[in-house]
Amino acid sequence: MAADNVSPPPPDTPAAPASQPTQLVEHFFRHETGRLHGALVRLLGVHNLSLAEDIAQEAMLRALRTWSMGGVPPNPSAWITRVAMNLAKDMLRHQRMSGTKQPALITHFEQILPQSPAASINEWEIRDDALRLMFVCCHPAIAPDAQVVLALKVMGGFSTGEIARAFLTSEAAIEKQLTRTKQRIKEAGIGFDLPEGEDLAVRVDGVLAALYLLFNEGYKASAGDRLLREELCAEAIRLASLLVEHPVGRTPRGNALLALMLFTAARFPSRVDEQGDLLRLDDQDRSKWNRTMIDRGLVHLFQAAQGTEVSEYHLQAGIAACHCLARDHASTDWARILRHYDELYRLKPSPIVALNRAVAVAYLQGPEAGLRAVDEIPQRDRLDSHYLLHAVVGELRWRAKDHRGAAESFRRALQLAKVGPEQLYITRMLERAVVQGNDVG
Amino acid sequence: METHPAALPFLLLFRNSGPETHQHLSPEQRQQLMVRWNAWYDRLAAAGKAVEGQPLELERRVVSGPRGERVTDGPFAETKEAIGGYVKLMVSGIEEATEIAQQHPGLPYGLSIEIREMAFSCHLGVTAGHGAPAERATSP
Repeated sequence: MAADNVSPPPPDTPAAPASQPTQLVEHFFRHETGRLHGALVRLLGVHNLSLAEDIAQEAMLRALRTWSMGGVPPNPSAWITRVAMNLAKDMLRHQRMSGTKQPALITHFEQILPQSPAASINEWEIRDDALRLMFVCCHPAIAPDAQVVLALKVMGGFSTGEIARAFLTSEAAIEKQLTRTKQRIKEAGIGFDLPEGEDLAVRVDGVLAALYLLFNEGYKASAGDRLLREELCAEAIRLASLLVEHPVGRTPRGNALLALMLFTAARFPSRVDEQGDLLRLDDQDRSKWNRTMIDRGLVHLFQAAQGTEVSEYHLQAGIAACHCLARDHASTDWARILRHYDELYRLKPSPIVALNRAVAVAYLQGPEAGLRAVDEIPQRDRLDSHYLLHAVVGELRWRAKDHRGAAESFRRALQLAKVGPEQLYITRMLERAVVQGNDVG
Repeated sequence: METHPAALPFLLLFRNSGPETHQHLSPEQRQQLMVRWNAWYDRLAAAGKAVEGQPLELERRVVSGPRGERVTDGPFAETKEAIGGYVKLMVSGIEEATEIAQQHPGLPYGLSIEIREMAFSCHLGVTAGHGAPAERATSP
């Protein structure tokens, strides 16, 4: 985002002259909302989160109205911050109650308000505020799915309508959940602090878990607004970057998670074909992969390796890196991927990990070995109702030239797949298996 | 007018220009609106057709009565009717001014635009054409 927040213009700088139009950076209003929330919550307290949101909203509306007639000022970020801080001050003056807190707050305001450019809120404070806000949103007192929604709203500047569309639910439901979450924040007395000491590692882990959940929400190939869902992933990447760039949040596993996200998001452009249908990894056009993201991912993977810890994020990032670095599908380092899956399974013995491992086995030792690995998955029955098991078995049977068996598995997968793109994909696989099954007799 | 080779000053007066019209837009919609606004304004400014633009504050006061004794402060019932700002154009005539107004990205959001030609000179004898008359007009 805007890197030049450091020196806002003097208070009454007019709009940019028409000869030098100021361009809004991408997602300006969205990210600015998050930034304002951080600054306002620091001044008003976490219990006034809703008030901070109202003030930020009002500042945005004033900006829109003013800029629509005079153009965007040279430093739009500083302009909005000034408006928001003044609004907050006015609001507190108006509701000057008998309490002792408010006058103290006003004094605080007057000290902190940018009277001169030098006295403005600096970049470090902005980063600190962002991180504090992240720790509030991902506080263990809040349920994981509520954390994700709150982070999108408060940090990501997503509207309730956008969140509702991304999660395929109603705006009313999202609003209700947000109200409950804010109530929870008040009850739990969550502060606007950077955790310290023993608390820190636990809290950072909580943030990572929430960001991982947020990313996966966006990554899921569900029906609905694909672009919007990819924006959830972009937001998860932005927040994870904020976290690992801050001395307090810079951990090997944070870097590993960020690397994993970058490697995964780098492949978005090739994930679907022109019709919007899902493509398998071996059918994807690798030239469409985002090299910049892959390179960034490698930097963070390298930083993640500085330490002795190997987390599940490390292993998943390692697997994703193998895919991203392979020149083509045939030259993928399946042996390394299999080692990562073995390790991951030891760390997190889930049937889904075991299923993915079986795919790696199949690439390394052939489809029959893959099918045996599937048979050997402990607690395999837990996967029986998951379309993915049957889709994988179908694929392996097809490669083992058992076309009838493949068709049978794909039919079962089709019954279980809930969302459009996955259904379409399996239908294509099923048709192929049926045609070949008939040909062979 | 048909014999005027030079550009003529027109004002576009904006009504219902916000903030309530923007209230329910998502951040990305706001972004898109601003980008379209900038493009509209930049194109005109680059062609030398938009000279200046300013929003007006929402607070207002009306003075009336023979001796100016009636002073009314807002808010008024019809805030939508209030002028929210203006853009000054230098164009060939009302048709071009209309065409420009019709391309305004705020129209789908309820904005209405009144187009008024500025009289060539005012009683102070200041030319409303070229130059910066607004600055001179305030001097005694």
